Amino acid sequence: MSGTGGRASGSPAATGQPGPLVPGPGATPQQRAAALASEWAPVAGRILLALVLAWFGYHELVRPALWTGYVPVVAPTSTAAVVAVLAHGWVLLMLAVALAAGIATRIAALLAAAVLLEIIISLTVTAGLSDLTMRDVGVFGLAVCLTGISHQRFALRR
Amino acid sequence: MRLGGEQVGRWGIALLAVTGIVGLLLAWHGWTGRAATVAPSLAGKAASGGHASGTPGAAAPASSPSAPSSPSAPSSPAASPAPTASGHPTAGPLLSSEPYASASFQVWPGSPSAAAKQALTGLTVTVHKRGTGLLVTAGVIGQAAGSPHLYAGGARVYVIEASLGDDSGNADYNLGDDGLVVTDTHGRIVQ
Repeated sequence: MSGTGGRASGSPAATGQPGPLVPGPGATPQQRAAALASEWAPVAGRILLALVLAWFGYHELVRPALWTGYVPVVAPTSTAAVVAVLAHGWVLLMLAVALAAGIATRIAALLAAAVLLEIIISLTVTAGLSDLTMRDVGVFGLAVCLTGISHQRFALRR
Repeated sequence: MRLGGEQVGRWGIALLAVTGIVGLLLAWHGWTGRAATVAPSLAGKAASGGHASGTPGAAAPASSPSAPSSPSAPSSPAASPAPTASGHPTAGPLLSSEPYASASFQVWPGSPSAAAKQALTGLTVTVHKRGTGLLVTAGVIGQAAGSPHLYAGGARVYVIEASLGDDSGNADYNLGDDGLVVTDTHGRIVQ
């Protein structure tokens, strides 16, 4: 088992950083599947998280009035609530594009995690734990995971 | 350029810049169209503390979701604040022609459908026939009941819920996309 796996030449391993395992010619299907998952699962997670952020960001930008009810403290019909929703939507859109394109993915994931944590805290404080809040906890977990993964495939580095 | 230890090239910066500009344009679009809400909002009445034309009031601070509680029984009009009247019946546009038609759920007459019940999450709507019209009281569970509103010529009551995803249990997290519409027998919105 131990002799079937290796690292790609020029991989981050050469620089002392962890990188995806590349199965050797004698690798079992399970090892190949594991290597494929370790290589592409972060990309899938990144793009799916980006889709979530983009969907909410776009809708918050084009229809802020539908989202002002989520803004804590201020009245939903106030200008401050609309501005807060627009700013929130803009940030989500930027994070979505950064994650989807692989631009500074760890920083983008960290910021996304911070935004999601703020949402979770806000929802929990105002209405307690619910299925909606727990769903956001899952998305927050995905963002946290992505903060720890470097050297991803399908990333714009130039 | 390095950002937090990660390499960001000029193409990345350019893409983020373009995204930022597009986001600002979308924000401008949203800002200029913020008054054109999808539906007559229940949240709007909370801040105004009064009634907007054509919609009943639901007095509640909509910045916080409605607190879970059991649905209230229909309130007695005698014990409620004096109803506001819509005056002489004026038929508005067809509900079916409104952009929020697809998000409307009939709650009266008859038994609400499963979707209508979900749309009603966090809200209380009581309807009484009053002459040729309807006396409708809309409110938010856990909050003070709104004032009844008389819709002359009203025949059907719809709840608008643009997104059912903000409903959890019997709490509605976002009243900004909730509304109430009364139509006449021809489906025209009663003003």
